[in-house]
This record gives sequence, structure tokens and C-alpha cells, in this order.
Amino acid sequence: MTPVISPFSLFFASIFTGNILLANFLGMCSFISISKDLRSSNGLGFAVTVVLTVTTGVNWAVLQLLTALGLVYLRYIVFIIVIAAVVQMLEMIIDRVSQSLYMSLGIFLPLITVNCAILGVSLFMEIRDYSFWQSVVFGFGSGLGWWLSIMALSAIRKKLDKAPVPAGLKGPGITVITIGFMAMAFIGFSGMLQVQ
Amino acid sequence: METSGAIIQAFIAPLVIGGISAVLGALISITDKIVNNYGDLVIDINSGKRELEIKGGAALLLTLAENGIFIPSACGGRGSCGACKVKVVSDIGPHLPTETPFLAKEEMADNIRLSCQVKVKENFQIEIPDSLFNVKQYEGTIERIVNLTHDIKEVYVKLPEGEEIDFVCGQYGQFEAPPYNKIKTPTQRAYSMSSAPSDKNHLEFLIRLVPGGIVTTYVHERLTEGQKINVVGPFGDFNVKDTGATMIGVAGGSGMAPFKSIFNHMTDTGEIQTREIWYFFGARTKDDLFYLDWLNELDAKYEKFHFVAALSEPQPEDDWEGETGLITEVLARYLAERVDRTQPVEGYLCGSPGMLDACMAVMRQFDMREDKIYFDKFA
Amino acid sequence: MKMSPEYTKAQANMQPGVITSDGFLGNDERPIVEIIADDEAEMKRASLEFDETVALMRHLLNESRKGLGEPVTVDGKWIVQAFEARGFLASPFEDGIFRKINAKVTLIHEGEPTEHSILYSDLSLHLIEKRHFFQGKGGSFRISPAAIKRVLFAD
Repeated sequence: MTPVISPFSLFFASIFTGNILLANFLGMCSFISISKDLRSSNGLGFAVTVVLTVTTGVNWAVLQLLTALGLVYLRYIVFIIVIAAVVQMLEMIIDRVSQSLYMSLGIFLPLITVNCAILGVSLFMEIRDYSFWQSVVFGFGSGLGWWLSIMALSAIRKKLDKAPVPAGLKGPGITVITIGFMAMAFIGFSGMLQVQ
Repeated sequence: METSGAIIQAFIAPLVIGGISAVLGALISITDKIVNNYGDLVIDINSGKRELEIKGGAALLLTLAENGIFIPSACGGRGSCGACKVKVVSDIGPHLPTETPFLAKEEMADNIRLSCQVKVKENFQIEIPDSLFNVKQYEGTIERIVNLTHDIKEVYVKLPEGEEIDFVCGQYGQFEAPPYNKIKTPTQRAYSMSSAPSDKNHLEFLIRLVPGGIVTTYVHERLTEGQKINVVGPFGDFNVKDTGATMIGVAGGSGMAPFKSIFNHMTDTGEIQTREIWYFFGARTKDDLFYLDWLNELDAKYEKFHFVAALSEPQPEDDWEGETGLITEVLARYLAERVDRTQPVEGYLCGSPGMLDACMAVMRQFDMREDKIYFDKFA
Repeated sequence: MKMSPEYTKAQANMQPGVITSDGFLGNDERPIVEIIADDEAEMKRASLEFDETVALMRHLLNESRKGLGEPVTVDGKWIVQAFEARGFLASPFEDGIFRKINAKVTLIHEGEPTEHSILYSDLSLHLIEKRHFFQGKGGSFRISPAAIKRVLFAD
């Protein structure tokens, strides 16, 4: 059953209450490694948002096709193929538009393909039986949520560079602790609206 | 019925996946066609001196090379030597992280770019030295290889029939080794020409084995006579100034190459009889010396030509009666006692960066002007 | 063995064609942390100290430069020769760039050069000093602790 939630609420819900990173902890690898640089974080956040929006929409259509043919069990492999293709196209476009963004994203651009957040959003979309517009809005919102979180973390890490962090916690250690605090802060949103 | 349904299923699944992949593949190649098609672009060189109509998308170094303009590059476009600097006048965005380690602040401010890293995506306006227009790639044939010492070979290359090269003594060419062993791409390295410019159909190089070196190892272990080899040249602005000033040449090892070319050329033109020339050549033992007979003959035949060989560690069996010590010490001795420094003096150096620095220091000590000391750091 | 991203990146940079055309790993397919661990054990067995080894190697490299491209005899024990080329090489760990200078150190025995020699660059010295990395087996710049013992600390 398609849930009755207006795309508008779903949009905000997916950014704040159901933040793909801080509520679901999906897409951690690039979140942790790219967040050390504000500019690259911005670029990657943008890239993830685009990929999420496009793939969720395309995957919705593909899912309808698979359901009609009774091949729903193929969804994982097909979702991944779609994601890989979209990332490939995005990579070419970024290379064309901004060489320096392309260089600074480096290996993380193709690695968006295996970013758990992307597949996660497509699978949520399937489990929750979203309609097309709900899916697109959910994908777009989740992307913005991811973007918001990585920018926030990146800014915090900039501050942390100057903070007296114990040697053993430098780098990933303190970053993971920071993410924990951020997640707790985001729990504050959860009473406002529930994603389903 | 059950089984036939399963069989149909078994066919449909791969068909669907294949179909979806095909559609996506088509989409990717359409995107590629649109995104990576930069159309026909124009590279304007030296404000209108030359205009290249090119297809965009590739690195500037490569694009220029395809159009017969060869920017010197010691590493062959890998972004590790920093030699292929080109001034890009048009605004093409900020320097890439792969360029910055090789560029000084002033160079960055002056829009100097590494041409192997910059992709041509729009119309370019660039500035290069005019002499680079003369650079060509030749498919030469190895005519002769001579062992000069245990680690220096003289390689004589014949250019294709009917092709000629115009160069000035002291310029260098890039010698290309084909892929071998683990090395998957052709590799180019720069060597000074040791042949005289009048020999327009040949190029000669002196190549010293550098342990671990890709091209020198190839030349020393694999190169055979009769083999085809690619040579690009001529490059460089190291040449003899036409001032008539006393010439002080210093070289070691394969740094002999430009001097061989220069002295042969001077013999042809007769300049060797009129110009005061001192040539210092340093080696460790007598086994490391070569061309001794020829140079001694020049020394004996021409009053104004002086050849000084110096051994830093002569062995007992060498029976060495000539100068001993590091070439810098011998140079200092001669500058103090023998060379007439009331006349204008010019320094010409060829050797490793360390040797150049040391010789420069000695020459400065004897009040030679820095702008009258010429060198090319390519040995 | 699982490697930190820094070492994974370094291993990628060491492949042929990335920084140098024949790479840093020869035909060694082990992860670099394993190469490092094995060589550290090897150094221990040969009772060699990293500090002392690096100091001696740096001394020889500096001495070799004084030959201005020609070989020189150092301390009556070694013949060393410097090979310099234009340009710089980046460290695969992305922690600096290094001048292209190689030193070949040959052991002298009873006045004659022996066939025992080691070849290293400014960059290899840095990798040994900071990472204890002697490069992969089969590479032109691989120095085994055994070769160091034989050439530098021969009795």
C-alpha cells in the first residue's frame, strides 16, 4: 500500500528526522574520509544528491517493470546496475564541468556506486511502497540530508583541527565520536514527523 | 505447465537484465558523445603565429604532439618531471593539484601550466618558444653503437632517407625506448646531440648507464644496430655565443656530447683557430676517459685550443701524468694560473646538476659573470 | 592483512606507471604492510638499527655528490657514484617530493671493487627512514636488509 504522506512532509522528514546518515548510518565511508575538506564535501554532497534523486526515480520505474514480469527478486542486481550507470554518466559530466572538483573527489566519485546510502534509499523506497513522486522526493530529500550532514561534519572537523584532541583519538577516532553526537542531536527532530 | 513456466522465467530474467544493461549502456555512450565532444577547437600559439584546429578532450601536451609541436618532456607526460611547462594565456581555471608541486609562485601567477596535465576543453591561447616549431619526430635507424667506456655508449642514429634535421651545437633530442619488461609505455629521455650540425641526416648521442634508469638500461642492454627508434628534437637553448670571448668548457662523463659537436663544428668553420678555448674534462680513472686521441690531437694542432683531462682517483696501473683532483679543483688551479682573464671569458658547462653547481661556484669565485655562464642541466 | 587507507593509497601509487614507470613493488604481490613487517623482522635478525643504517646511507649519498657525477672512494671502504637527473619524484605516501638523485654504493675488498653493491635514491632513503619500506622484491630499487648488512656493515 502506498503510504499516505504528502511529498512535502516526506521531503523534510527525509532530511531531518530520517536523515540517511545520522538516523540510518548509511554511506559512512565517504562521509568520514571526504569530510576532512570542506570544498570536496560540498562537491560530493552535490554529487550524492544528484545520484540519489536520479537513481531513486529510475529504480522506481525499473521496479514496476520487474514487478510486472514477476522478477522482483532481481531488484538488488538491477538497482546496482542502474546506480553504476548513473554514476558513470555523472562522472563524465563533472569531469567536463569542473576539472578541479573532479580531481579533488578522486576515487570517491566512482565509489558513490557502492555508497550504501544510494542502494539503501532505493530499498527503502521499495519496502515502503512509495509512489513515483514520493520516491523522487524521498531520494532528493535524503541526498540533501546527506549533503547537510557532511557539510556540518566537515565544518566541525575544521574546528577540531585546532582543538587539543588526545593523540590516540586524532583522525577517524574523534570523527566517529563527533558523528555520534550529531546523531544524538538529530534525534531531537524525530518527534516532529515520522518517515514511513 | 509448471516446468514450462520455469523455463520461460529462466529466459526472461537474463533477458530483462541484459535489456536494462543495454539501455543504460546506450545512455552512457550517448552521454559520452555529448559530454566528451568538445567539438573543433582552435589553439592559438604565440598570438597568431600558428593556429591549430584540433579535436578537444586530450591533454595539451598530447594534442600539440599530434599536431607536430613537441614540448620538451622528460617523463613523457606522466606529470613527474615538471619540464613541459607552457604559458596558457586564456583563462582555463585554477591550477590542478597535480601541477602545483612543480610550479613556483611566480610561475603560477604568470599562468604557467604543466601541459601534460591540462586538458584542452575550450579554445586555447598559448605561448611557447619559437624554436619549438622546428621540433619534429623522426623514426631513425640505429646505425652504429660504440662502447666508449664501461658505462658510456656512443649511439649513431640515421634519420629516414630524405629527412634532415637543423640544429645548433648544444641542443638535445629526446630518445625513446619502446616498452620492455615491466615497462608498458614508451619512455623518452633527453640527451645532447654529439654529432656536428653539418651531418644533417644523422644524430649521435652519448648515453651513460644510470642504474635503474629506464632508457639508459634499455640502450645498454637491449638496443641493437639496425633497430628502429623514435627521436624527437631539437630542443634547448644551450649553445655557443658568437662573441669571440674565451670559452671555458667543463664536462664530465656523457657531458662530453655537446662539446664533441661544438669542437667538430668549430673545426669545420675554422673558429677553432681563432678563438681561445679551454676544455676541462673530469673522470675518475683512466678507464673513464674517452676521445683522448682526438682531443689531444686538437690540442696539439691548434694553438688556441687547450684540452685538460683530470682524474680524481687515478689508479697505480693508469700511469697517469696529467692533472689529478676533482674537476673543480683543476678548474680553479687553471683559472688562477693559466687562463688569461684580462680578456672576456664565458663558461660552458655540461654535466650533472651537482657538477654544474660546483663549477658555477668556482667560476663565480674567479669573478666570472653569472650571465656569461651557460649550461643545460640535461646530461 | 587489512591496511589503513593511507597505505592502501600508497600501494596504489606504487604501481608501475603512477609515479615511476616500473613502480616500487617489482614483482612482489604482498601488501606493503607485510613487506614492511617482514623486512623489519629481517633487520632485527641481522641486528641492524634503522637510525644507524639510514644515517650511514645518507652520509654516503652526500659524499657521492661530491664526485660531481664521477665515482668517489669513501672511507676506503666503498666506491660511491651519484646519478642526478632533472625533476622531482613524489613520495607514494604523498608526504613530500624528492630530487631525482640515486647513489650506487659498491663495497671495496682489498682495494678492488666487489660485485656487492646497493642502489638507492633520495626517495628510497625517505621511505626507509619514515616507513621502514625497502620496496618490493624484484624492483630495481629494492634493497634487502641482507644486502645492507653485506655492503654497509661488512666486517
